[in-house]
Amino acid sequence: MNKVLSLAKIEGKLALRSIDGVLFGIGMPLGVLLLTTMIAGNKQAGNASYTFLDSSFSSLLAVGICATAFMGIPLTICDYRDKKILKHFFVTPASPGHLIATQVVVAMVTAIISAGLVALVSVVFLGYRMRGSWGLLIASYFLVMIAMYSLGLLIASVCKNMKIANLVCSLVYFPMLFLSGAVIPFEIFPEGMQKVASILPLTQGVQLLKSVSLNQPVGNPQFVLILLGVITVVGFGLAAKLFRWE
Amino acid sequence: MNPAIEAKQVTKEIGGKKIVNQLSFTINKGEVFGLLGPNGAGKTTTIETLLGIKRPDQGSTKILGLDPLKRRREVFERVGVQLQSSSYQNNIRVGELCREISSLYKEPRDYQELLNLFKLERFEAQPVEKLSGGEKQKLSIVLALIPDPEIIFLDELTTGLDTEARRNVWQTLLKLKETQLTIFLTTHYMEEAEILCDRLFLIKRGNMVAEGTVSELLTESCQNNLEDAYLWYVGEDEDE
Repeated sequence: MNKVLSLAKIEGKLALRSIDGVLFGIGMPLGVLLLTTMIAGNKQAGNASYTFLDSSFSSLLAVGICATAFMGIPLTICDYRDKKILKHFFVTPASPGHLIATQVVVAMVTAIISAGLVALVSVVFLGYRMRGSWGLLIASYFLVMIAMYSLGLLIASVCKNMKIANLVCSLVYFPMLFLSGAVIPFEIFPEGMQKVASILPLTQGVQLLKSVSLNQPVGNPQFVLILLGVITVVGFGLAAKLFRWE
Repeated sequence: MNPAIEAKQVTKEIGGKKIVNQLSFTINKGEVFGLLGPNGAGKTTTIETLLGIKRPDQGSTKILGLDPLKRRREVFERVGVQLQSSSYQNNIRVGELCREISSLYKEPRDYQELLNLFKLERFEAQPVEKLSGGEKQKLSIVLALIPDPEIIFLDELTTGLDTEARRNVWQTLLKLKETQLTIFLTTHYMEEAEILCDRLFLIKRGNMVAEGTVSELLTESCQNNLEDAYLWYVGEDEDE
């Protein structure tokens, strides 16, 4: 674990230096939070019994997860594979687990800072009060996180080169970001689109966070719990099996 | 005593083509071994198969008596490697790269000491990309020495360097040779092979064409200098 942390410290600095993670993972959800609140904060979200702020709070928590899972982790690992940095790690005593854990730690820290800031700003500056339990919310948050990270690692293992990785990440990241309800309130989508968007794993994750924070079932929480559990196990398993140094 | 490196009938095919064909050699501890051959002869593939980065289709390799495919982590605790045209993470600084590599080993050498040894200490806070070609190659030797290895592998370490930088690197390698380090290197420069290597192994299209000390190769080929001898062994045949 110590070895992972000492590597993560340096890799974290590198992530900070490349700005886009900070911008998309931390800056964007805060921006959207402020914007949504300014435009429609206290209005009812669609036909629901809660406001747009209520809805946005929990869904914006997922933006940091989405950015690190579908951009940060797979792009960094594929970039390292492309640049033969992974090959160089092969000729050291480092294990794939060690390298993957390092990237996951960096991603987790980014996502947690993002969610922490969203929560802080909502509660302190926007007067947000959550109906559900914080403990449950945090637990669900981490479940959504590891499920999405397992998918991100799977993408990293499967993509042969940076070009493919860029394409796949864009194809996964943008729909997840905009259709899952993480950024744009799900409630304002037409019903047909809601059905299509429900296929996305992150949509289910966002629904779970919403159910917990509103203390009322949105979608089908039991089903989501099982789904996320299965995604996590299958995702990590396949990612480890398909991992390639070059 | 185990030899430092052992290759037995190593064959590697890529895309149905034999890139390395039935190569066998044994390298003793403390020896500097040079693998020579024209571009595309299979030098890098030989190194990568030797190290277990690529799995041999036939034959086996042993490093310090261990199979690198099965005991990779043990092997690389004791072996340093510089791969051809290494690149590093974007925006990483020299000191960070050294710390990162050091963190992977149980008992790494003090990288500051190594940077001093190679006169790179003043670059510690600089981005790696800003280093000149020669400085980068020296840094890659520093990284290969961080595990305090018993063997180092250097794949075309001096390719692309200007004459001065190349000689500079040779001086460093000569100093390392005095410490009884086993060195496996590939190069295009006959002068380099002559100055540094105890024994040479020439390959052409994946096949061995000659093996021996510089003077043995000169005698066998009846040439006056290594470059002529090299061409005599690996040069394209007239009728091809």
